[in-house]
Amino acid sequence: MLKYIRRRILGTLPTLLLVVTFVFFFVRLIPGDPARLVAGEQATQADVEVIRVKLGLDKPLGTQYIEYLVGLIKGDLGTSLRTKRPVTTEIAGRIGNTLKLAFITLAWSTVVGVIMGVWSGRHRGKWQDYLGMTISVSGISIPSFWLGFLLIMLFSVKLKWLPTTGASSWKSFILPSVTLGVAIAAIIARFTRSSIVETLKEDYVRTARAKGLKENIVIWRHAFRNSLISVVTVVGLRFGFLLGGSVVAEAVFAFPGLGTLLVESVNYRDYPAIQSLILIFSLQFLVINLVVDILYAALNPEIKLG
Amino acid sequence: MPIVQTAADTACEAVRKEKASIRTPMADMVRKFRKQRNSVVALAFIIILVMIAFFGDFLIPYQINEYDYSATLEGPSGAHWFGTDEFGRDLFSRIISGTKISLAVGLSAVTVGALCGTILGLLGGYYRGFIDAIIMRVADTLFAFPGIILAIAIVAILGSGLSNVVIAVAVFSTPTFARLVRGKTLSLRTSVFVQAAKNLGASDARIIFRHILPGAVPDIIVQYTMSIGSSILTASSLSFLGMGAQPPTPEWGLMLANGRNYILTAPHIMLFPGLAILFTVLSFNIFGDGLRDALDPKLTD
Repeated sequence: MLKYIRRRILGTLPTLLLVVTFVFFFVRLIPGDPARLVAGEQATQADVEVIRVKLGLDKPLGTQYIEYLVGLIKGDLGTSLRTKRPVTTEIAGRIGNTLKLAFITLAWSTVVGVIMGVWSGRHRGKWQDYLGMTISVSGISIPSFWLGFLLIMLFSVKLKWLPTTGASSWKSFILPSVTLGVAIAAIIARFTRSSIVETLKEDYVRTARAKGLKENIVIWRHAFRNSLISVVTVVGLRFGFLLGGSVVAEAVFAFPGLGTLLVESVNYRDYPAIQSLILIFSLQFLVINLVVDILYAALNPEIKLG
Repeated sequence: MPIVQTAADTACEAVRKEKASIRTPMADMVRKFRKQRNSVVALAFIIILVMIAFFGDFLIPYQINEYDYSATLEGPSGAHWFGTDEFGRDLFSRIISGTKISLAVGLSAVTVGALCGTILGLLGGYYRGFIDAIIMRVADTLFAFPGIILAIAIVAILGSGLSNVVIAVAVFSTPTFARLVRGKTLSLRTSVFVQAAKNLGASDARIIFRHILPGAVPDIIVQYTMSIGSSILTASSLSFLGMGAQPPTPEWGLMLANGRNYILTAPHIMLFPGLAILFTVLSFNIFGDGLRDALDPKLTD
């Protein structure tokens, strides 16, 4: 197992290097002069040149790239043009909130999605199925920013139960998490349903029923356990969707996370911050996929670990 | 004599019956699709949306940028069905007019993404080797950017604006189509009919476009329909974040973002654009589901 894990981690490294390279050159395409941006509109050309040297932008692209890679290994992501502070400091102050939001959301939406999917799947073609699938197709169609505002109107403005912004207490996580998680739960429900419907056709399910097991046991112990593998895969893949969605959900609630930082940085054309944030987002996604792969191997005895 | 007559009649009847029940794949698909009533309703709604996109501008009661400072932030009424915004603009007219923007952005982005992805997938899957390795490596790299992040990155470089949103969403949907079509091509290129075409001396282009592509078309159509809904959603999210359409464009996501300043005094400004996005995306998703079930050969009734 350890050997398998090590091999999977090594397998991710080339993708990671490609992502880093891609982000580096990609962000260099941003129009406008970053040195001018830092110096300000009124600065003289000489001042701009001083800043250009300070930012290392006067060097050839290849040198910049090498320096960037070396910096990355040392954990140096450059300096934010907007706040003049190291990007790592900016990210460190916010990544906790975003990760907390992501994992809380992933947890509840997986549970809700699985229960809803199993419920629809076991009542295939009946009204329960129809209801469950109507809810979930609506869940993937609803604009999350709109849902967020509806929740604010109901729970913050009308009932005054929950705060509209910030991340100061556990209460501030509820609305952003619901906003973010509805679509994820809906996707997981759709997937679980089709997986359960397939599994229920299997011979061992018929056998389990034939020997008189209770339907609940047949569903959860036999059918669901075997659908679990594909559910884990889809949950992992949707984590990226969740990270992307968090940008929008955070914007609605002015939540102090990486998403709002990304939007602010894009508006300011703060390219060191943009490139680091995009990198951090895809890094989180790659790590989760790695974990899912390993979980998948652990859950599925058919996969050879050699 | 009468007996022979009857026999001939029966034969004729049998032929007629057979003709009536000939099951071409297309007829089969239409029949299966029509059985799913909500998908038919969704399709009807999409047709109405398309009509609105084309003719809506001739039907709206007010001009989309017609200011009326005597009627700002008004709730829904007989004169303004969906109320007015902070400039007294009629929201109903703006939402109707915004239909063509959302449809155009969603459709053009997915069409570009589907075309590029299909061509790349066909090339990679058919020629394998070096081309395939490069295409799939790029697709993997693009897949490593979660969800809307890639679109935001592209907009950060190109600058905000609707046309850049189209490019961003197109790039973002290309790898999905590339992977789908590549997988299909890989399985079709070893099939007997492709081998036969090859032995008959058909050119690569002919094999790819006449023999392999048609086999991938059902999958492409389903993915295409399913992508339209999510593209409209992504595009309006970008506009909501201030990276897409710019004021005073009557784009639904932008109108919604604008409404957040009036959440306490005039919540209707946010309500109606959100409903418009919801129903549009919902109809494409339900239509896509119906299409998928109708095209899926595994699902027989």
